[in-house]
Amino acid sequence: MVAVAVLAALPVLPAESQPRAFEGRTIRIVVGFTPGGGFDTYSRALARHLGKHLAGKPAVIVENMPGAASLIAANTVYKAARPDGLTIVNFHGNQLVGQLLGREGIEFDARKFVWLGVPVRDNVVCALTRASGIGTVEQWMAARTPVKLGGVGPGDTTHDTARVLQAALGLPIQLVRGYKGTAEIRLAAESGEVAGGCWQWESVKVTWRKALDAGEIAIVLQATAKPLPELPRVPLALDLARTEDARQLVRAAVIVPSAISRLYAVAPGTPPDRVQALRAAFLETVRDPEFLADARQAKLDVDPIPGEELAGLVEELFRLDPAIVAKLREILR
Amino acid sequence: MLVGIVIGFAVGILPGLGGPTTLALMLPFVFRMTPVEAFAFLLGMFAVTNTTGDITSILFGIPGEPTTAATIVDGHAMAKNGEAGRALGAAMMSSLFGAVFGALVLGLAIPIVRPLVLTFGSPEFFMLALLGITFVAALSGEALLKGLLAGGLGLWLATIGLDPLASVQRYTFGQLFLWDGIGLVPVTIGFYALPEVIELAIQGSSIAKLDVGKLGGVWQGVRDTFVHWWLVIRCSAVGTFIAIIPGMGAATTQWLAYAHAVQSSPDRERFGRGAVEGVLGPGAANNSTLGGSLVTTVAFGVPASVGTAILMGAFLIQGLVPGPAMLTPEPKGHLSVTFAMVWTIVVSNIITVAVCLSFMGQLARITQIRGTLLTPILLTLIYVGAFAEKNVFEDLGVVLVFGAVGWVMAQLGWPRPPLLLGLVLGPLAENKLFLSTDNYGLAWLARPGVLVLTTLILVGLVVPVWNERRRRTRASATMAAPAVTPAGDRRGLRLDGATVFSLFLVLLFGWALWQSRDFGPRAGLFPWAIVIPSLGLAIVQFARDAAGRRSGAALDAIETGPDLPPGVAARRTAEICAWILGMFAAIWLVGFSSATLVTAFLYLKVGARERWPISIALSLASYAFVYGLFERVLAIPFPPGLLFAWLGGGG
Repeated sequence: MVAVAVLAALPVLPAESQPRAFEGRTIRIVVGFTPGGGFDTYSRALARHLGKHLAGKPAVIVENMPGAASLIAANTVYKAARPDGLTIVNFHGNQLVGQLLGREGIEFDARKFVWLGVPVRDNVVCALTRASGIGTVEQWMAARTPVKLGGVGPGDTTHDTARVLQAALGLPIQLVRGYKGTAEIRLAAESGEVAGGCWQWESVKVTWRKALDAGEIAIVLQATAKPLPELPRVPLALDLARTEDARQLVRAAVIVPSAISRLYAVAPGTPPDRVQALRAAFLETVRDPEFLADARQAKLDVDPIPGEELAGLVEELFRLDPAIVAKLREILR
Repeated sequence: MLVGIVIGFAVGILPGLGGPTTLALMLPFVFRMTPVEAFAFLLGMFAVTNTTGDITSILFGIPGEPTTAATIVDGHAMAKNGEAGRALGAAMMSSLFGAVFGALVLGLAIPIVRPLVLTFGSPEFFMLALLGITFVAALSGEALLKGLLAGGLGLWLATIGLDPLASVQRYTFGQLFLWDGIGLVPVTIGFYALPEVIELAIQGSSIAKLDVGKLGGVWQGVRDTFVHWWLVIRCSAVGTFIAIIPGMGAATTQWLAYAHAVQSSPDRERFGRGAVEGVLGPGAANNSTLGGSLVTTVAFGVPASVGTAILMGAFLIQGLVPGPAMLTPEPKGHLSVTFAMVWTIVVSNIITVAVCLSFMGQLARITQIRGTLLTPILLTLIYVGAFAEKNVFEDLGVVLVFGAVGWVMAQLGWPRPPLLLGLVLGPLAENKLFLSTDNYGLAWLARPGVLVLTTLILVGLVVPVWNERRRRTRASATMAAPAVTPAGDRRGLRLDGATVFSLFLVLLFGWALWQSRDFGPRAGLFPWAIVIPSLGLAIVQFARDAAGRRSGAALDAIETGPDLPPGVAARRTAEICAWILGMFAAIWLVGFSSATLVTAFLYLKVGARERWPISIALSLASYAFVYGLFERVLAIPFPPGLLFAWLGGGG
């Protein structure tokens, strides 16, 4: 309600054409997470360069609206932001799966958001320690006792991936939930409390580099659409799935959400010419050499999805067979 | 580094501008620096926030950082006794001690920390959290039952939010902003700052109630640090080693150190009334924490706190991967960076403390300024501070609620620190308990580490009781002088107040229990384990209050100054509460900056009947402060007022 007041109080804009629409204005990127996290870092890097790719060179600032795993930011912008293209929201793609499964607290319809794009596709892999004795998927399949994976909670990649792999591929898994994040799971894995976990390769390769190089952990499985160039010989979860249903489950719960996890959108009803301008500016920014130099230094991968393609992926998610959705709801509880 | 120190200085002093937030804002600047420069800048800033945060805590009773709340209890009491200078000196010097200690441990412990930490699993972490919770008793002063109840209340508050495992909403009233639980910052600010403002207005005097004999007490405070050097070192150790545990930051260690200072003191009655040890303990601990939490960051790449998580982002920007390489000398590793970090912490603290000590004497004079001039400024700081942490307007409401609760507790002699300790340790304890049972079934109870810690907890619970008994027998042999409670000899209204508050707690816990009936075992176990005993205790307390049996002063009960006629006190209380609510409404209606201007002016001119020039100058100054610094420089997204929305004007 307060937020309604906040956003409704933005000045009324006369209908003007794109070249003038952003002139002298400030574009706000509302990030659904706290300062300093991955989402925030990408948004700040984008904010530094986005303005110069828009006519009128608007200033771009980042605001943090953390809470409920970015749900507060998504709800607020959906319900209360003026559709003038000046408020961009950056929230987590897993919330779309949340809408699909009818989770609580979601007050938006993802199909009505206007999507601007994603700066990087995340790719989920499973990393297990050498100490766990599981170095390949075959060994994992044959394990007598369930392999302990660390997880955060429902709606989080670490949790949903483990659940789906267990249900769709029949991998023996004991999911231990409640870790605060991947850093804690890494610590638990190193102390032998769990065998490992499944989350973004982009994070594993940076934060767990030393253990990877030393062979203390191995990537035994990748839940990606195609093998990653850096991991050519690691088997794909899709190839282990024996039925079409199993493949659909892996796609809907892991592959698509992780590809679109770092969503950027503007409010429903934003005029088409501004949407065009913002989408173009977004793409130009993620290809801008200066932005790429910043991203390289901050160890941020860039593998963008343009706005139109992103909208298509969201559509695909919502076209899922109701029977599969019901099954997912069962698995991801 | 110097730039970092200057920024950190300001951040520490301003409530609501937290160290972590500022770190994140500064990250973009480190792209172009060398690793050593980058850390000098960031650590220089971060290392001093806890030092300067103590200043605000002592002078105004408003925590400059959530990590400096424990300094308030005795530090602000000292300021009221006219010993602001001494408290500041003690805080500064112990901060320096703590920081240097933490940095040295960081330098020395790194080689041995890996195997040590890896022997710890969730069960040991759970036991450590439990050990922390047992300190509630020490923080209760003489009002043990009330202290336990306050601790229970804090633990219960910690369960508010979305249970991350079963996705059950606990006590959220369907409000999204409660999903992540209640923030420590608004609770701390409301709990300590608002009661102080109310008290200041009721007394109608300056903060220092007694004449400030000599303002040069700063050096006295520095001397105190050396007199109590052993305590300072112990508390530094508490800060450093507890902080190695992920999830335990300075918000926790300050209270544990404070509790330790209380426990180890031969005369506990002095605490809460301006005991210098109560400043030294937390002062040292919240600074030594940084060294400890950096240990795990550097050695494992596992950040132990929000601040170090952001620092880790800086590591990665600089192309440094935390882990064993940080401990290998060049050219293979980055040992020099690690040592540069150690030196930065040491040097930046020395500089800060030296600078602070040079003008602390002047700062201490603030406590002699007329309270009416300070009130609007303090209110502004309270509201801005509460908002800026998460940029959520609802947090202002949280401040008001806890301001009311804190004030009532202070009036009725209920200790407040246990509640905060419960609030910070509750989530950690619950989380680790479930991880332990999920991982090991019940076998974790037999782990050697757990057994050792269990013994420690039992010893920690039994020894004080035994000491107390011995002390009592000795005391009754010489003289019987139990402390007279401030709430003991008041008139009927107050007695009713005490009874009503206990009844409120009984009803609250009863309601909490009823609400939790459909949480299910996973989300419900922890609330049940807290609420059921708390309800029992609350009923006992209610019975005692109703029977008129009062006991024990709280550790941080507000000492009332010269007695005012009850009518005057009641009128002034009502007035200041109206101003506090009025400002809240003003912010809601016309936005932060304008509300500051309007409220400050009206308060000074109408409420306090100050002269025109003073009213105009001060209100304009506070407006410039809020608008210039927060809206312009820091670009904090204040919500525009509702009025503008209705009028369709610009925000």
